[in-house]
Amino acid sequence: MLALAAIVMAEFTIPEEIGTTPRSLLLLIPLLVSIAVIYKATKVSRVSAWNFIKESALLFGSILVFMVITALALMAVARFVVG
Amino acid sequence: MTYRKTEENPWPLIFLVGLAGWFLPGGGYLVLKETRRALIIFVAVTATFATGLYIGSIGVVDPIGYKLWYMVQMMSSPLVAIIGYHTQGGGFPVYGRPNEMGQIYTSTAGLLNLLCIVNAVYMAYIRKTQDVEQ
Repeated sequence: MLALAAIVMAEFTIPEEIGTTPRSLLLLIPLLVSIAVIYKATKVSRVSAWNFIKESALLFGSILVFMVITALALMAVARFVVG
Repeated sequence: MTYRKTEENPWPLIFLVGLAGWFLPGGGYLVLKETRRALIIFVAVTATFATGLYIGSIGVVDPIGYKLWYMVQMMSSPLVAIIGYHTQGGGFPVYGRPNEMGQIYTSTAGLLNLLCIVNAVYMAYIRKTQDVEQ
């Protein structure tokens, strides 16, 4: 048990290998889930399973769609400016 | 559930809720007997912080090199200071994208916990000073 705990703790002392690639930005999706869940947990008047999941999913989807639209707009501007 | 305002001084409860929320994510809601909300917030804030530590290692908590990030990370819990104590000598170097991602995750966890503390404190104040139907 102690050995297992030591192995788990050791995992937190070595950084993961993440390249500076566009795919690395996908790591922001779990963060987005967390933001949506916590924000909704502070906002809903009653925490009932179905309502809470629905509200969180809606917020997650809205932010994701807005992020994609912003990314596309910025890409278009970059293409227009740089060529 | 209905809460009636009381003539009691609300500040001890508000202080307790704020302190509990800082020491343990969701602790403020636990004091207010909002168990489900407290559990969701505890799991989400802790998982976000732990993911940041896993991605970037405990080296992302750096009280010397990244003071501002450290202050924000400390919003998660004062227990972050224990990690800071072990990493302040620079024994866990981390650079590049893992460093960025680790700091973004851990700092966001801190800011989200601050949001929860403020919300719990507001909820405690409202319950003590106004008639509330929930």
